Amino acid sequence: MASYSPPVQTLASSPIPQFAEIPAPLIPLLTFLSSVWITCQNLFHHIPGSPILLRYIRSSYQNDPWRSALEVLLVAFALRTILMGRTRGEGEGKNFVKLTEKEIDELVDDFTPQPLVDAPSAADTFTLQSVPVIHGPNGTKVKTSPHGKTLMNMAIPNWSGFVESDKMKEIAIDTLREYGVGTCGPSGFYGTIDVHTKLEEDLASFLNTEAAIIYAQTFALVSSVIPAFAKRGDIIVADRGVNFAIHKGLQISRSQIKWYAHGDMKDLERVLQNVERERKRKGGKLTKKFIVAEGIFENDGMMLDLPKVLELKKKYKYRLILDECMSFGMIGQHGRGLSEYYGIPASEVDILLGSMATGLSTGGGFCAGSKVVCSHQRINSSASVFSASLPAMLATTASAAIEALTYQPALMSSLQANVQIFRQQLSKLEPVYTQTPPTSSDGTVPSASTLMPPPPVQNKDAIISIPSHPASGLIHIFLLNPPPTLEEEERLLQEVVDEAMATSSLLITRARRLRGQEIFEPEPSLKICISGAFSKKEVEKAGQGLRHALIKVCGSELGGSFGLTTKSEADPNWDYAERR
Amino acid sequence: MGRTTRRSAGATSTPSGASTPPSSLSSSPPSKPLFPTISLRSSSPSSGSGTESHPHVSARSSLINVLTKPRHQFPITAASHSQATTTAHYDDASMYNNRNGNSTDEDSLYSDQSTISSYASSIVSGSTSGREMSKEDIALVYKDYLEKPFVQIKSNIKHSEFGHCNNPNWRWTSQYNTSEPIHLEEEPRPSYYVLMSTYFSYLLLIVMGHVRDFFGKRFRPAAYSHLMPQNGYAALNSDFDSFYTRRLKQRLDDCFARPVTGVAGRSIVLYDRTSSDQNLTFTRTGSTTRALNVSSYNYLGFASSSGGCADAAEMSIRKYGVSSAGNRHDASTLDLHQQTEKLVAKFVGAEASMVVSMGYATNSTTIPALVDRGCLVISDEFNHASIRAGVRFSGASMRWYKHNDMKVLEELLREVISQGQPRTHRPWKKILVIVEGLYSMEGTLVNLPALMELKKRYKFYLYVDEAHSIGAMGPNGRGVCDYFGIDPREIDILMGTFTKSFGAAGGYIAGSKEVVDRLRIRSHASCYAEVISPPVLTQIIASMGSIMGIAPPLAAPAEDDKSDGLSISSRPTVYGPASASILPPWLSLPPNLLNGTEGRERLRRIAFNARYLSSGLRKLGFIVYGNRDSPIIPLLIYQPGKMAWFSRMMAERFGPDMTPIVVVVVAYPATPLITSRVRFCLSASHTKNDIDMVLRACDEVGDVLDLKYKKQTMTVEEVIANAEELVAASHIE
Repeated sequence: MASYSPPVQTLASSPIPQFAEIPAPLIPLLTFLSSVWITCQNLFHHIPGSPILLRYIRSSYQNDPWRSALEVLLVAFALRTILMGRTRGEGEGKNFVKLTEKEIDELVDDFTPQPLVDAPSAADTFTLQSVPVIHGPNGTKVKTSPHGKTLMNMAIPNWSGFVESDKMKEIAIDTLREYGVGTCGPSGFYGTIDVHTKLEEDLASFLNTEAAIIYAQTFALVSSVIPAFAKRGDIIVADRGVNFAIHKGLQISRSQIKWYAHGDMKDLERVLQNVERERKRKGGKLTKKFIVAEGIFENDGMMLDLPKVLELKKKYKYRLILDECMSFGMIGQHGRGLSEYYGIPASEVDILLGSMATGLSTGGGFCAGSKVVCSHQRINSSASVFSASLPAMLATTASAAIEALTYQPALMSSLQANVQIFRQQLSKLEPVYTQTPPTSSDGTVPSASTLMPPPPVQNKDAIISIPSHPASGLIHIFLLNPPPTLEEEERLLQEVVDEAMATSSLLITRARRLRGQEIFEPEPSLKICISGAFSKKEVEKAGQGLRHALIKVCGSELGGSFGLTTKSEADPNWDYAERR
Repeated sequence: MGRTTRRSAGATSTPSGASTPPSSLSSSPPSKPLFPTISLRSSSPSSGSGTESHPHVSARSSLINVLTKPRHQFPITAASHSQATTTAHYDDASMYNNRNGNSTDEDSLYSDQSTISSYASSIVSGSTSGREMSKEDIALVYKDYLEKPFVQIKSNIKHSEFGHCNNPNWRWTSQYNTSEPIHLEEEPRPSYYVLMSTYFSYLLLIVMGHVRDFFGKRFRPAAYSHLMPQNGYAALNSDFDSFYTRRLKQRLDDCFARPVTGVAGRSIVLYDRTSSDQNLTFTRTGSTTRALNVSSYNYLGFASSSGGCADAAEMSIRKYGVSSAGNRHDASTLDLHQQTEKLVAKFVGAEASMVVSMGYATNSTTIPALVDRGCLVISDEFNHASIRAGVRFSGASMRWYKHNDMKVLEELLREVISQGQPRTHRPWKKILVIVEGLYSMEGTLVNLPALMELKKRYKFYLYVDEAHSIGAMGPNGRGVCDYFGIDPREIDILMGTFTKSFGAAGGYIAGSKEVVDRLRIRSHASCYAEVISPPVLTQIIASMGSIMGIAPPLAAPAEDDKSDGLSISSRPTVYGPASASILPPWLSLPPNLLNGTEGRERLRRIAFNARYLSSGLRKLGFIVYGNRDSPIIPLLIYQPGKMAWFSRMMAERFGPDMTPIVVVVVAYPATPLITSRVRFCLSASHTKNDIDMVLRACDEVGDVLDLKYKKQTMTVEEVIANAEELVAASHIE
């Protein structure tokens, strides 16, 4: 290794060769240079430790010149890193075009940005105009103008009628008198009030999970929990029908996202197998894998086949993130959600998301799971760390609502009864009559097939399809034969809404969407939220009213009067072709 | 300088002894002799440190302060007042004297609290009579300090939630003074020794952490199971990602997320807790401690369980219930939402506004509605996480610039406009610059005047996040625009939250009607997020209304407005009282809220408190960041080990008054690694005595922990005695 090289003249001891012939004019310059060199050398020798450095450099140079080069490079790199500004980004890349100041000035003058917002389109104006404003308190009976008529409100999630609960009002006032309204701080900085801790404990014991953590808003909860766990390189298998908040969470998790067909367990298994195959082929290190789905899907009211998903998740070693924002407080004997409906312990679900705002009619959302899952979020979930905690009164009322759900199973059974009545009224317009909905109370678990949307069977009266699960309080009504464009369909549905309001004093809404921002544009639909607080008669009347409104508006628009041949029957491909 | 101290006049008119602080009350260690407060009162020039550090008082700032005092005091001192205003133009000193003459008269008027605030002087005026008070005596006096005011005051607001402080001298107007820099050119830096030891501390912590991980994983695998892959599942948390949390933060976890109960007002009740497993779990001892709260974002003291706003919220619960469920576009928009939005628009001076049920979500759901692919967002490096989240949701490109550095921003703007989009070099569709009005970790204000100049030249859109500044800054409490006297309509998007100054929850977006309408359609929150609940809306309406004042019933503030108008003649006149028609008809507010006097009082109190503590801490030799008018005051600690101790020593005071103070310590990742700090958030609910107490506590702890990284130019008792001068001074360092 030590190929002996002749002693190299080191930098420190290189004299100016005397023998060379030097042109006369250069002599003073060279003397000056050499004197400078000698002074520097002397100075250097005066520095303590300089001989060691010198010896080190010399020896390393002699033994391995490559190493010296590398070290010089390293020093240069370190200097460059130090000198480079923190905030200067991609500026000086290959793509950077060097311009003179004058050119930049011209470009700045020429720069004409687009307007901050586009002018509102006709659809936008239509959307804004069709937003009802409730005058006075919200609840089952509302007014949309100060002196207007009273309407039955089937547009807000009020499953157990907690919105108007007098007991919750009293509790809220008591809380107000002890805690004020706002908490004025994030949970990390004196925003963790005892009522928050109590609510977390209540939720955990209600669902029988190890722990729970609450958030100040449901949307922020969902879009923040997913990226708190799923990071770059992880794999997420998600249902195509998940809601917008999940989409957003998936988007910023930067994980690898695989979609499976909405509600299709076979497709889920296929995707899982594909992932597994690919992993085996590529090898690499074990990454986190998640399945993301909803209990009751916000976009259409369908229910997840939880037992099957759990089976697959265990088989392929996935973790399940289950968004129960709709099903919590709506499904199951006590409103515990899907786990109670199927009789599966909620702790089987790794990360369970729920909403106090929809399920308990207060505010905020929660995530339940193991202690590790919850404590991880307290420092790593951005919506939990960087936002003020939930107002105390919304936490105490949520605790009260949980207590009510625990001790009053009647709340859920009356909701279920109302859902049945309402669905019966509408079933005459569906392609197949809805069978008696299975209930969880008698222990019979519905098979997976009943969860699927019914296959379109020839039914002369059919104008709508309702994929929503028979037990779901959230009902989405889709038109069987919609007009060619989304906008027309929205307008048609709005006509149904207006008609229902005008003739049967029923307040419903069409499902509001962020057209143009969704990953998969959901089909327009009518959204109905049944509440257990309605009497049977009211629900029956509402169902009839909606049916008449549907027949009146859609029946006539789609192929003349109701009951006659519809366009789709005349030409089954018409609808499909037009919408393409 | 020939300027007598302001107390010289006071000595003649107040009974001697009553306001003389007992000299033994000092808590400073014996090595540092207590500055004799007496020498301050005499006009002898012996007060060496005092004269040398005389705060420079500009005529303008003093004038503003004099003129913005409540009007009711002037009848008594009308003559001297007019004299003051005329002489002020010629001679600072004489003007100063006159002003002092004023204040002493007021002192005798408001004899309930002496202007000389020192230990117990205001409480036991007359009874101390020169006798030296022992530590026990002081502790006794301060026993009920947080709950009972020293004097009897009739009020329906609890003293523990909102302190009573009647002295009109302890008021200030938060307003941009052109002679004061918006932010310092260079941040104050500690010595290299401090920096090196900080880096060394972190190095040691990291090495220790890895050593513990190494052995822990081998000898106690059960405790590390969640960090290691298990039967085919990858670890939920990677141990690399959670290293900081487990090995650094956990050491001071007793200072975070302390469980509390009750209102986070002027004081707060903590549950005492202990940990037997190095902060992994905590057990509550069952006892509670009431502590002075300088941590909550309760800027105007509206977090309260009593008083007019709470009464209004109760009315609202009775009428509207707790929740309106659902999202804005379905059937959950109440008339109350529309009323709130109108009021918010009027408050911030914009055409229209939209409210969202969570402050974080206001940013994260609105920004995606404004920008998308092909747009560029330029963001200050210290912008809040919600802004980053919003930009990531939107898919727009993002560039950063150095905090508050307008030169760097201009360079960056020139670069991005001239270069266009990466690779294609197509021009950006639009450029949105997002800044915060008041930075929550730095206490710095955005340089809005400079930014507006840049906006004209470079045609970007401006989004100002006023989460902390709205309500807390500006003579009318309308945020940074008000503070700088800039027309809010020139800013494209104004965003703010209700969590802080208004004691409620949620946030708003304000701007032109066109923009807000568009946001209503495109914002994620309007379609998919729950609405704000009615009592929270009512709290917003009541607190905001009381800051603005409601016209026409009692238009008292109109005259006061004129006095503000002197300095703000260039201001847009949009900040008037709210018209009664905007408010819900069923809402009844007490007169002091309706006519705006209460709100204005609160604005002046927080302005004084903020400026006083910020100036005082600087004088004590601490490194303090930020603008002096900012109610957020970060005090730099640097070494990580001291953070926990600072928090603990403030909570378990060893000073004679024994009143616990809760503070927030923040470190990486909320701040750059080395500049860990303690952050005080002041409030209008704090009295001057409270601030005195914080100063004393910081002085005690600062000496013990060696936190005074700069030269101390005043003792703590001097600072307290000179509070008003410090506040009025336009330069402190």
